[in-house]
Amino acid sequence: MNDQTNVKLRLNNSELWGGLIGLALGGFVIWQGVKLKLGTINDPGSGYVLFYTGILMCVFAASIVISAITEGGPTLASRWENVSWSKPLLVIVCLTAFSFALEPLGFLLSSIPLMLLLLRLIDPVRWTLAIPIAALVPLGMWWVLKRLLLIQLPSGLFGIG
Amino acid sequence: MDTLVNVAHGFGVALLPINLLYCFIGVFIGTLVGVLPGIGPISAMSLLLPVTLSGTPESGIIMMAGIYYGSMYGGSTTSILVNIPGEAASVVTCIDGHQMAKQGRAGPALGISAFGSFIAGTFSLVALMLVAPRLANIAIAFGPAEYFSLMVLGLVVLTFLTQGSMPKALLMACIGVVLGLIGLDSITAQPRLTFGRMELIDGIGLVPVVMGLFGVAEVLLNTEQAIKRDIINAKITQLLPNKADWQASAGPVARGTLLGFLLGILPGGGAVVASFASYALEKRLSKTPERFGHGAIEGVAGPESANNAAAGGAFIPLMTLGIPPNVVMALLLGAFVIHGLQPGPLLITQNPGLFWGIVASMYIGNVMLLILNLPLIGMWVQLLKLPYNILFPLIILFTILGVYCSSNNVFDVYVMIAFGIIGYFMRKLGFEPAPLVLAFVLGPMMENNLRKSLILSQGDLWTFVQRPISAACLALALGLLLAPLLPALRKKRELVALDEGA
Repeated sequence: MNDQTNVKLRLNNSELWGGLIGLALGGFVIWQGVKLKLGTINDPGSGYVLFYTGILMCVFAASIVISAITEGGPTLASRWENVSWSKPLLVIVCLTAFSFALEPLGFLLSSIPLMLLLLRLIDPVRWTLAIPIAALVPLGMWWVLKRLLLIQLPSGLFGIG
Repeated sequence: MDTLVNVAHGFGVALLPINLLYCFIGVFIGTLVGVLPGIGPISAMSLLLPVTLSGTPESGIIMMAGIYYGSMYGGSTTSILVNIPGEAASVVTCIDGHQMAKQGRAGPALGISAFGSFIAGTFSLVALMLVAPRLANIAIAFGPAEYFSLMVLGLVVLTFLTQGSMPKALLMACIGVVLGLIGLDSITAQPRLTFGRMELIDGIGLVPVVMGLFGVAEVLLNTEQAIKRDIINAKITQLLPNKADWQASAGPVARGTLLGFLLGILPGGGAVVASFASYALEKRLSKTPERFGHGAIEGVAGPESANNAAAGGAFIPLMTLGIPPNVVMALLLGAFVIHGLQPGPLLITQNPGLFWGIVASMYIGNVMLLILNLPLIGMWVQLLKLPYNILFPLIILFTILGVYCSSNNVFDVYVMIAFGIIGYFMRKLGFEPAPLVLAFVLGPMMENNLRKSLILSQGDLWTFVQRPISAACLALALGLLLAPLLPALRKKRELVALDEGA
């Protein structure tokens, strides 16, 4: 790791961010534990284990932060060095859009476009192959699940599927 | 004599046509996911978890077990022919297996890997048969303190063996415990961390969490860079190893089997650790260690036997104590729970048909794998040519359907997608998901046992140290937690640290 990719007390130190997120989560868990009541050691309450797990999370996260400051860590940019970060981002966007569309549009109307987008956007498959796969696989799966296994898939506002 | 009667009873269950069919489907799918890089037994098992609902508990669990040990067989094919591990336990096989294939010895490499796996798989089953009932008798005496300490040990072992820094792995385990506690408190019935959402009252499902962290996150990572495949195209002939190959492999197979079985039993251990340990052992024992990395058959025979023996050994803690030693066994525990069964010391006596049926089906499955793998090598090679840009949208669609079918709830699909995105960023920042998943499963059990032991001992924490088994587990866990502070042990940990999730 060179000086450009290994930094100590800088905001782009990825280890520092990992530790800080852990600290925040730990703090939240402690707060939730207290809110749920700790009880006593003879009769632990609902928040007892959460509270102590939160403390442990803070301890481990603090040790990550300390080691990020003293030993340094890779920059956030170096974690995505030499890889095509836009491809997973596109998949994430497609999946997020799909999750919003699934209930209103139903399984078939949301999964066929999802398949087509994934087949065409990431590492493009030729149209003559992408269209049949995107249409036939969800249709086939829908048929097997709905007709053979009698599993009800979301049919959406239009009642398709 | 009792054992023989039980085995006969088990074969009676396993040889039922429906169970034979499920066993075949399991080992076939296992081999398939083992062969295909990018899908592992964890993804396949979580995908098929809902399918187990349609049959009897025996059929479902026989199929799930088949996927696990089947993937161990299949993984070696990809390692040898393509130099990409089909699943994590076959990483080591790439080193010498692919070199053998390049030298025109793909046949003997595949052959010894299949025969070694068969021998190890069979041995581990005999040992499982002999050890499990005895251990179950001892485990009846276990109290909540022992269970709690054993689970702590399991989690610590897994975090010790996980790649990257130990505080990161421990932080992941803590997050897993917290996620596992979402939902109604099992003792007071008070909702915890539900944020007013009805969907969270029963907690988060194991299937969406696992499918997100392992299935979707793996796809996101794989799309970052094109997977280069160096497939051996030459025709594969002479799968049977010759006399010299057998002579060279006999010792590694025997040692790998024994080592793998013992490591498989340990909580937190498993097939991946076993294969690495076996490779290191064979290299150290060899008179010509310089051959390793250049096509030494011992480097294939040992690890392949070890990972199969470990797969069999891992059933022992689950079946006798009800504690899953690794993520795959946690999924199997999920399959038991779906059918209203609780694995543990009473399983063997209360459900002998189930226990012995599963054991017997594993014998049958091992034979099926031997028959399935060697003649079908050509078909697996063809399958490896399926481009990833076609494969990954299919994986995503199957994961969505798998998650939806497990609960008939769209909310679980959202959970899976969210965990997929979280899992991707976690991996990018060097946080491994395996401790999180195991802790997610063990978390509620750990909390329950901790609270029970505190109530029973009237708040006396010494109860964990006064009981010998509990004290031994906690001492071992403490030793492992402190080990990375010693430079020599830290180096050793880095050598064996692994990526369980691959």
